[in-house]
Amino acid sequence: MEGRVLSTLRPSQIYRPDVMEDIHLKADLGRYRFRGFGTLRPRPLPSFDDLTFITCSLTRIPLEGYRERCSTKTVLGARFAKRPIELDIPVMITGMSWGALSYNAKVALARGARRVGSSTTTGDGGMLPAEREHSRVLVYEVLPSRYGLSIHDLRAADAIELTVGQGAKPATGGVLLGSKVSPEIAAARELPAGVDQRSPARHPDWLGPDDMIIKIEELREATEWQVPIFVKLGATRVYDDVKLAAKAGADVIVVDGMEGGTAASPEILQDHTGIPTLAAVCEARRGLQDLGLYGQVQLIIAGGIRSGVDAAKAMALGADAVYIGTAALIALNCNRPLFIEDYAALGTEPYACHHCHTGRCPVGITTQDPELMKRLPIEEAADRVANFMHAMTLEIQMLARACGKADVHHLEPEDLRALTLEAAAITGLPLVGTNYVPGRRAGD
Amino acid sequence: MTTVDCASRSVREINEAIRRLVKDGASEILVANPGARHNLAVAVLTDVAITIDGPVGYYAGGMSDGARLTIRGSAGWGVAEGMLSGTVVVEGNAGNGAAASIRGGTVVVRGDAAARAGIAMKGGLLVIGGDTGYMTGFMMQRGRIIVCGNAEPALADSMYEGTIFVGGEIAELGNDTVVSDATPGERAEIRTALSRYGVKGPDAFRKIVSGRKLWNYDKKDLDVWKAAF
Repeated sequence: MEGRVLSTLRPSQIYRPDVMEDIHLKADLGRYRFRGFGTLRPRPLPSFDDLTFITCSLTRIPLEGYRERCSTKTVLGARFAKRPIELDIPVMITGMSWGALSYNAKVALARGARRVGSSTTTGDGGMLPAEREHSRVLVYEVLPSRYGLSIHDLRAADAIELTVGQGAKPATGGVLLGSKVSPEIAAARELPAGVDQRSPARHPDWLGPDDMIIKIEELREATEWQVPIFVKLGATRVYDDVKLAAKAGADVIVVDGMEGGTAASPEILQDHTGIPTLAAVCEARRGLQDLGLYGQVQLIIAGGIRSGVDAAKAMALGADAVYIGTAALIALNCNRPLFIEDYAALGTEPYACHHCHTGRCPVGITTQDPELMKRLPIEEAADRVANFMHAMTLEIQMLARACGKADVHHLEPEDLRALTLEAAAITGLPLVGTNYVPGRRAGD
Repeated sequence: MTTVDCASRSVREINEAIRRLVKDGASEILVANPGARHNLAVAVLTDVAITIDGPVGYYAGGMSDGARLTIRGSAGWGVAEGMLSGTVVVEGNAGNGAAASIRGGTVVVRGDAAARAGIAMKGGLLVIGGDTGYMTGFMMQRGRIIVCGNAEPALADSMYEGTIFVGGEIAELGNDTVVSDATPGERAEIRTALSRYGVKGPDAFRKIVSGRKLWNYDKKDLDVWKAAF
């Protein structure tokens, strides 16, 4: 440093080191960057952390936190289906493909969810038979790629999820880079082994909401109106999309915010498309309310749900249940400081790994390598998933009881206040310490 | 032949009636007065001959496994989509996405097919007696498409594998395709397939397969990727 004048060392705020590195990498690669995990935006998004529960005091009476009953039973899909889903808890495992995840990870998620009376979901690669075998409730995704789609699997499912989009990359298809398209995965998807698989963005046989009405009817006819039909949306124009999906006949609508995870996607989509989950749940509720279908069409919220606190806030804002994906993988062991030398070999380290796309997952979750997969013993992993989902449920119950609710589904917007002006504007909740809601006049 | 009359019945009632007849062991079913309803005869999982006596809407015969369906008229979007095995014969024309994502079986469109016929096919055979629309065979994975007439632009765009034969003019090949003349052996196979369903085709066919440049990203193929990616 001797002889240097500090005032000349002025790094650009526009071309920061990470921006320069990004340009250097793209100059080498000749394409945009892929990675997994989900958004890594340096600027924080508005989130559930911007809300706080105003629990009971004199105006409302709490339930005994550790003793009085607080129901978590969750019923989804009673609008048209003969067999709605009944879950013991409002926390469900979202769709993640066998291909993106290892066999061990898929089976561990199924077993873990089963132990706590909840569901798991297939993903962009068809139904893994072991997943059906080990799931108590299995949601079968029908995606644009239709990889491995079989009427027999469809009929073996407890619900069908017609996926329009995903929060991490709304309006684009999935990606599975060649390193993960093993011969087994290739056979299941009817693809050549080792190709960089890119799923389509649109369904092959329908485009807009009018077509979707007919598609939903086809799925109902194919399953004899037995099971609920979910429609999953990446959170973009949520208010209108939710209304269109509800009008099209969905029993359940899933809205996946931009914090949602992915095993592989162009980085820019993860960071620069969609809207945050906090905003998405508010728009979704408003859409259903304006149609008069709030309560009849159930709402599942996904995208960066990390804890029972996030779940409880989402439910207070209008969700009937939440999906977890990345959090469930972290419960499996994602980013845990084990096999640290293998994180280093990927150029990363525990708590900062987002290398799901490489297929070299050090802890055996997002890989098809049999040796890496062995690092995820199914039984132990299933225990951790069940424990985490159970802990989340206890957190939701604790907050619900503190708000005086004997059922977690009774949580409501009145139980929350906004900690920031931004969150108050997004949610319509008053700013703490005031009655002020941006955009709302006194007396409205 | 047992008859299901669609007049004054909902799609749900019609399909329930078909399912009931199949369960009771019917081998031939006539579906009369279809009135272009959507979702007729979907998810039939038995080797049974079903004839729909008139035009149909979307997804006729969709998601079937083993049924033999004949449509005496034209079909709307997604005819036979997702089929695993069996046959669907459309006597007229077919709307968008005919045989979309089928994994097996045979779909025959005696007339013309609209856009995206055979999109994302994962197996099976699609025969088109007339012309075919934009993006036929888009992202095709496996199986065969035989087009006796002309093909509109973006034919076979981004196909992974599979083979498309075209007897007429090709307006424009899709991204990453390789075209050649069908060999005598392939022409014989085409003739056999066409004669099985009584479809007349030309003597010569062009053969389109994947160029495989899109299988894995390579800077050398930047222009191909720019168009596709």
